[in-house]
Amino acid sequence: MPADALRHVAVVGASLAGTVLADALRRNGFDGRITLIGGEASPAYSRPALSKGVLTGKEQLDDILLHPLGSDVEQRLGTHVVSVDLDARRLVLDDGDEIAFDGLAITTGARARRLADLGAAEPGARETTFRDILDARRLGGELDRARRVVIVGAGILGMELASACVDRGAEVILIDQQPPLRAQLGEFLADLAVAAALERGVRFVQDASVRIRGRETPVVELGDGRRFEGDVVISAVGCLPNVEWLAGTHLDTAGGVRVDSRGRAGGNVVAAGDVAAYPSGSGHRRTPLWNSAMEQARTAAAALLRGDEAPPLIPPEYFWTEQFGLAIKACGTLPPAGQPIYLEGGPGASELLLQWRSGDVPTTAVAVNTRVPVKKLRALSRRA
Amino acid sequence: MKISVDRDRCEGYGVCAEVAPDLLHLDDDGELVVDVEDLTPEQTETAASAARVCPVAALSLRDAG
Repeated sequence: MPADALRHVAVVGASLAGTVLADALRRNGFDGRITLIGGEASPAYSRPALSKGVLTGKEQLDDILLHPLGSDVEQRLGTHVVSVDLDARRLVLDDGDEIAFDGLAITTGARARRLADLGAAEPGARETTFRDILDARRLGGELDRARRVVIVGAGILGMELASACVDRGAEVILIDQQPPLRAQLGEFLADLAVAAALERGVRFVQDASVRIRGRETPVVELGDGRRFEGDVVISAVGCLPNVEWLAGTHLDTAGGVRVDSRGRAGGNVVAAGDVAAYPSGSGHRRTPLWNSAMEQARTAAAALLRGDEAPPLIPPEYFWTEQFGLAIKACGTLPPAGQPIYLEGGPGASELLLQWRSGDVPTTAVAVNTRVPVKKLRALSRRA
Repeated sequence: MKISVDRDRCEGYGVCAEVAPDLLHLDDDGELVVDVEDLTPEQTETAASAARVCPVAALSLRDAG
């Protein structure tokens, strides 16, 4: 169906990807109707800010709302889509309404994976997860009283949460099957962050088997018999794509909505953000990161309107994290392999500009506690 | 309209500059620089798109004058 036949695009999911996608449709000249449907009551806000300013109590929802969309996008917030018929091009909402569309953008994001999802929780165990503003408020409130927080999962989110919990005065134990952050950031950066965390009193525990139990007071039990009781036990063990509403369609949703390099899942259906699996060097993959969501949304909006004439996604390969006093910005391949070259700073310095190479070819550039224009960082991460 | 940068919030992520390279850039020190003072209506739309993707909500649009 050519773009000039598109009259009404439904964008399902109203966080960063959906909001940017709706905006990008307008920026690409689409003058038909756009309906943006979001499950959360609030318009889009910055999720990365939740584990930082909101959890530490410095910021409220109002401080982290994204710049609002114009009135040329109809918004239905606090509304979930329960099913879709792609042949009839019709959505069914949880309030019973139905919405007909010509084009569909899938931007429903992901939700926290639970230990319960992994079969590692006793039924009814008090497991806390962290994904949205309600989670941040709830955990922020619990931290007023909590003395001891146990976090399962020492990836990016687990480490950022640990950092905020320490800032709030809690004692933090981080438990993982793997060495902390190694899979995400590689050995060098992981060691840097772990050293900063240890300095602030975080305790790291590694064990192949983790199980949570306890309705009132949650406890994490390890394979070797050790038990860690917390006032709060948080699991930060990844996320699952919100694809259940797509059941019954022909779409491939097993590892997220599978799309081509322009974000297309099939005739007049595109996807972007944490729910979408774009082609990568290692097969179709979800990349639940801010810049990925944004660039995918822009790519998918253009492709919905212009098809093959729209440019394919150039994966942004840009990532940042803040934890334990470290501000890390990274461009290029993650995790980087081996040891970096110091372009600025040196061993033990707090401000670093680092480059990893494979042979003579740069693969990754990272700035630690120093401001570097992203263009420069990106250039340092690539072959000249 | 003008782009207003909250310097206390800006972390220099540069996401805005990728969306609106004609209006904003990061200088050699990684500080955000606003390149266009008074925005045309079309530039205002682009600036709004750039403000929208700031992960720390550091950008806003203000009436000029």
